[in-house]
Amino acid sequence: MGVIKKLPIYSEKLPGGGLVLTSLEAVINQAQAKSMWYLLFGTACCAIELMCTGASRYDFDRLGMIFRATPRQADLIIAAGTITKKMAPRLRRLYDQMAEPRRVIAMGGCTIKGGPFYYDSYSVEKGIDHIVPVDMYIPGCPPRPESLLEGCIHLQEKIKKQKLSDWQEK
Amino acid sequence: MTFDELKEYLAANFADDLTLLDTGRHEPVYEVKAEKLVTVCRRLREDETLKFDFFCNLGGVDTGERMEAVYSLASYSKKIRVDLKVILPHEKAEIDSVQEVWPAANWYERELWELYGVHVKNHGNLTRFLLPDDWDQGFPMRKDWDAPDFIRMPEL
Amino acid sequence: MADLRTEEFTVNMGPHHPSTHGVCRLVLTLNGEKIIKIEPVIGYLHRALEKICENRTYAQCIPIMDRFEYVTAMSCNYLFSNAAEKLAGIEVPERAEYLRVIMLELNRIASHLIFYGVTAMDIGALTPFLYGLRERELIIDLFEMTCGQRLTYNYIRVGGVSRDIPAEFEPKCREAIKIIREKLIDYEGLLNENPIWLVRNKGIGVLPPELGIAYGVSGPVLRASGVKYDIRKDDPYSIYDRFDFQIPTRENGDCYDRYLLRLDEIKQSLNIVEQALDALPEGDIKAKVSPNFKPPAGEVYSRVENSRGELGVYIQSDGGKKPLRVKMRGGSYNQLQVLPHIGTNCLVADLVAIFASLDVILPEVDR
Ligand code: SF4
Repeated sequence: MGVIKKLPIYSEKLPGGGLVLTSLEAVINQAQAKSMWYLLFGTACCAIELMCTGASRYDFDRLGMIFRATPRQADLIIAAGTITKKMAPRLRRLYDQMAEPRRVIAMGGCTIKGGPFYYDSYSVEKGIDHIVPVDMYIPGCPPRPESLLEGCIHLQEKIKKQKLSDWQEK
Repeated sequence: MTFDELKEYLAANFADDLTLLDTGRHEPVYEVKAEKLVTVCRRLREDETLKFDFFCNLGGVDTGERMEAVYSLASYSKKIRVDLKVILPHEKAEIDSVQEVWPAANWYERELWELYGVHVKNHGNLTRFLLPDDWDQGFPMRKDWDAPDFIRMPEL
Repeated sequence: MADLRTEEFTVNMGPHHPSTHGVCRLVLTLNGEKIIKIEPVIGYLHRALEKICENRTYAQCIPIMDRFEYVTAMSCNYLFSNAAEKLAGIEVPERAEYLRVIMLELNRIASHLIFYGVTAMDIGALTPFLYGLRERELIIDLFEMTCGQRLTYNYIRVGGVSRDIPAEFEPKCREAIKIIREKLIDYEGLLNENPIWLVRNKGIGVLPPELGIAYGVSGPVLRASGVKYDIRKDDPYSIYDRFDFQIPTRENGDCYDRYLLRLDEIKQSLNIVEQALDALPEGDIKAKVSPNFKPPAGEVYSRVENSRGELGVYIQSDGGKKPLRVKMRGGSYNQLQVLPHIGTNCLVADLVAIFASLDVILPEVDR
């Protein structure tokens, strides 16, 4: 009953069973927030930290985040690492292949504004937000696994606050 | 073989082809004329005493007035190392491919062409591979290269 | 059935493929399941590090070098510092040299642990990944307590190291060595005799030594083919000539030998770290170097042995405070060149094993 306790609910014990009343919005949001499967999209140094976050000590799985190798099964791209001009169209294509609802986390300075390669680099895309829409920025070079976890928790909170009416507009 | 012995050996056997450059350091750097490059390289590789069979590196250099191609060679068995330098003109630079001596040179030469615009003769596969396929802004590693979205770091 | 028409077809592997260790694209021409041609397409991570270094002072280049080979960032730091020291003729204090060796070897172990985990994951075993990265965290903790970073350390500077190790470093380090030694037995038990592992790796992707030499392959990949070549012994840098360690080699040159060889190397590196900890002298950790120092005009090619072979940097100085040219060279560049030769005539699934066993990492290739 752990999940149900968290929903804004009206629940009642009836003889021989139970009845839960809640809003559809809360159920959908809860489901989306607690099973964000991310695409294994690591291009550079930040990917190593993404790997560490997925491994033993930091254990990404407890947030309900499991890596997927194909964009068609993923809900979230964690763009970990530098996106170069050659890579940018591929990132866009991966994003297009994902099904709605889809989200993007920009991990590390490189994906935010070019990071250490902002100056003097002729081949680095200066930020990924003009390629794909970004939901959460996590600064750092590379961000620690803790900050990645925190970013994901913030994203979950953001998801939980979304309204059903927003979805209709989209 | 120590570096001094190497220098002596090269002075005795390669006097016509290699000119020792004074770079003020221990490891020798030799200048090679562009026409002689492939023959000298083959001799260096096949010489029983030297056996430079390890192609470490090839880097282009743009000094502003001229182009240089610097070959770093080593030997797997003899514990020696040497650098060869070929000096080229800034415009219309051309160099022979050394792939027949060291197949490893393939990608290094492609890179030399792609980033510096030094044409490599007899290469066979001089196509883009580091830059995007639709790149049309010239040779970015040249000192005088510039582009609209290229931001230089301000002097502090 | 005899006149059944077969046709070759082309498959794109990458640039986003979970087993390509980053972003490399392999264009495969297949005949059924058999690969008849491989063409690597690189450049998806070309970040123009060389151009950036040309516009930085020598001290500012070191953080950029971190990003050149982030899995063993310490070797990159060392490499650049060493080259700049050779150019400018700077002497490094004794204690700093020992600290450098400790960090380099710890970093080599960390890198091989990543190899252990990631390779197994590519082949389909998830447990080694969790094991390998668990022990890697012990080493990362040591780095973090010394320089505050987990991945891009910027620790080894021109003239020495940036700060001294804290007091609790030594006991923690010895403990980590002890734990890793014990866990290595687990690792070997998990994979060495595992029938699936043997079938997937034994006799796959054999690299003949002559081919390796022709293509300038170095490091563990070449040593697994029986060529005993290690820059730590053959062209000793830093103070490696003071330590007692072996260069392990293997004979067959297949994926399985490359894997075993890396486990052997971890053991040797643990020995080196222990010896260095025992002999660690007191003293300064950094020579006096001005941040804007100007080395005299000249050029240098410096190289070190990292976990993927020869890592080299060529620096040319024109006497100014910024280098005129920095050319980086990584072992993976050559190992990826040799892949089309050893990967043809095998199955696509084997290609994944071969690619993983070469331990190619793309920033080293693309820079
Ligand atoms: S933000 Fe820093 S660590 Fe992350 S990919 Fe960019 S350079 Fe590497």
